Amino acid sequence: MFESIAAALGPEIYQYLLAGLVTGLLYALIALGYTMVYGIIELINFAHGDLFMLGAFFSLQLAIWVGAAGAKGQATGEFAVLAVAIMLVAAPVFCAALNVTVDRVVYKPLRNAPKLAPLVSAIGVSFIFMNIGVFWMGTYDLNFPELIPPTNLTPGYRVEFTYQHLMVIVVTLPVMVALTLFVRYTALGKAMRATAQNPTAAQLMGINVDRVIAATFAIGGALAGVAAVVYGLYVNSAGYQMGFQTGLFAFTAAVLGGIGNIPGAVLGGILIGLIEKLGTGYVGDQWRQPLIFAILIVILIFRPNGILGARTREKV
Amino acid sequence: MSTAPPLLVVDNLEAGYGQINVLHRLSLTVNQGEIVTIIGANGAGKTTTLMCISGVVKTRAGNITFDGQSITGVPAHSVVRLGLSQSPEGRKIFPRLTVRENLEMGAFTRRDHDGMRADIQKAYTMFPILEKRQSQPGGLLSGGEQQMLAIARALMSRPKLLLLDEPSLGLAPQIVVQIFDVIRELNKQGMSVLLVEQNARMALKVAHRGYVLETGRITFTDKADVLLHDPRIRQAYLGE
Ligand SMILES: Nc1ncnc2c1ncn2[C@@H]1O[C@H](COP(=O)(O)OP(=O)(O)O)[C@@H](O)[C@H]1O
Ligand SMILES: [Mg+2]
Repeated sequence: MFESIAAALGPEIYQYLLAGLVTGLLYALIALGYTMVYGIIELINFAHGDLFMLGAFFSLQLAIWVGAAGAKGQATGEFAVLAVAIMLVAAPVFCAALNVTVDRVVYKPLRNAPKLAPLVSAIGVSFIFMNIGVFWMGTYDLNFPELIPPTNLTPGYRVEFTYQHLMVIVVTLPVMVALTLFVRYTALGKAMRATAQNPTAAQLMGINVDRVIAATFAIGGALAGVAAVVYGLYVNSAGYQMGFQTGLFAFTAAVLGGIGNIPGAVLGGILIGLIEKLGTGYVGDQWRQPLIFAILIVILIFRPNGILGARTREKV
Repeated sequence: MSTAPPLLVVDNLEAGYGQINVLHRLSLTVNQGEIVTIIGANGAGKTTTLMCISGVVKTRAGNITFDGQSITGVPAHSVVRLGLSQSPEGRKIFPRLTVRENLEMGAFTRRDHDGMRADIQKAYTMFPILEKRQSQPGGLLSGGEQQMLAIARALMSRPKLLLLDEPSLGLAPQIVVQIFDVIRELNKQGMSVLLVEQNARMALKVAHRGYVLETGRITFTDKADVLLHDPRIRQAYLGE
C-alpha cells in the first residue's frame, strides 16, 4: 500500500521524508529544553529559541576566530574539523551557562510568584536575547560556514543522503539516547523526575530542588547549544530571528508530544519536521507556518496533554 | 523517660504564609522513644508545624532543635540527612515512579546500596502489598496502599524521628487500624514519632503525650490518656 501511495506522491517523497526526519531531530533537541524546564517548574521558557540563536552566533564567532570562516561566515576551507570540534564542546557550555544565569537572575526570584510573572519575564528575556543578537551580528542573514560538505553519499539511489544529513543524525541521536539514560539511571536524573512529579516530596527525600532546577536549565541549554551547531552546519545560515521561528516550531513539537514529557518532545519534534517538509514539498512553502500553527491550535483544543502527555497526573 | 534531653524541641515557633501568621509562639517537645500527637481541627496549623520542622516552610521566629542541634532555617534537603523524615499529608507519592522507585527515592540521601536493598525488603515485610505492587506506578495505588508507601518511603532514610501527617485521612477503618498497628510496632522497635491527626481518638490511643492545637496556638498538653478522658477534649475533638 505504501508503495502505491509513494508512487502517487512521486519519487521526491523519500527526499522529503529524510529532510523531515533530520529537521525533526533538530526540533526535538530544542523541544527537549522547553519540555524539561516546563516539567520541573511549569514555565514556558519563551527565551529558549533565542538562546538557540545566540548559540548559533557563538558557534559562528568561534568558526571565525579559529579561521574556519571569514568575517561574513563563508567557509575558508581550513580548520573545518577543528572548528566543528570546538563548536560542539563550547556552544553547549555557553548556552548552558547562559540559561543557568538567566534562571538565577530572572526566574528564581519569581519562583513563588503567580505563574504569569515568570512567563512575561521569559518573553522579556527573549527580546533581550534577540537584541543582543542584533548587536552581535546585525540584522542581515549570515552565512554559517559549510564545514560539513553536502556531498551525496548515496549516488544512484533515489534519496540523496549527504554528509550533512549524516552529521545531524550522528550528533543528535546519541545525545538523545544519553539524555534518556541519564534521566532514567543517574541520581540527578532520578532527582529531576521526582522534582517534576512532586517538588515538596522531592525536598522531603533530601533532594536539593534549587540545584535540580539549575541542572535542568543547564541540560536544556546544552541541548540548545548542540542544536545550534548542528542547525548551522546543516542549514548554513544564521540570523537574529532564527530562534523565533525555530523556537516556536520546537515549542509546538513539545506541546504535540505532551509538554513535560521527554520521549514526547522527541516524537513531536520528528512529527513537526515531517509535517513541515512534506507540507512545503506538496503544498508550498507559504503554507508551512500556517500549517504548523494550525496544528498547535488543534492540539491545544482537542488534546491539550499532547500525544504522550502525562496520563497519570497526580491530583490530590 | 529519664533526664536525657528531648530529641526535638520546638520553641516559640512563628510561621505563616504571606501577610498571615499561622503559628503563634508554638512550643513542643518529643522525647526519645515517644509517640507524641498534635490534634486539632482542619486549618489549625498542624501541617504548617510539621513543614516548619522539616524545613519546607520558613520559620519567622523561634527555634527548632533536633538531636541537640539547631535546625532553624536549615533547608529541607539537609534536615533529612540529620535523621528527621516525614510522611506528608496527602501522601505525596511520586505518581509516575514505581513503588520500588518511590522507596529508592526515600533513600536518596544514602549510598549504602546493600543496606538500602535490605531496608526495601523490610518495608515489604511490614507492608506485603507493596511487594506485590512493586513494579506499578505509585499513582495507581489505592489510598491505603499509598499511605503505606508514604510511611515506608519515609523510613528509607533511617530516621531517628518520624513525622506523620494525617496518616488516616480518607482511609477505610480497617486500613486505619493496620496503619496504627504499624506505628505502634515501629515505636516498640525504638522509633520516635510525631503524629498529626484529625482522628483524635485513634491518635490519643496510640500516643504517649498529646498537644491540642487551636488556630496556631497550643491550648492543652498532657499525657495522652489524660487528654482522652478530659471532658473538654471529649466534647471538642472526640464528638461527645
Ligand atoms: N501554602 C499556603 N498558602 C497560604 N495559606 C496556607 C498555606 N497552607 C496552609 N495555609 C493556611 O494556614 C492555615 C493552617 O493550615 P494547615 O497548617 O494546613 O492546617 P492543618 O494541617 O491543621 O489543617 C490555614 O488557615 C490554611 O488556610
Ligand atoms: Mg494538615
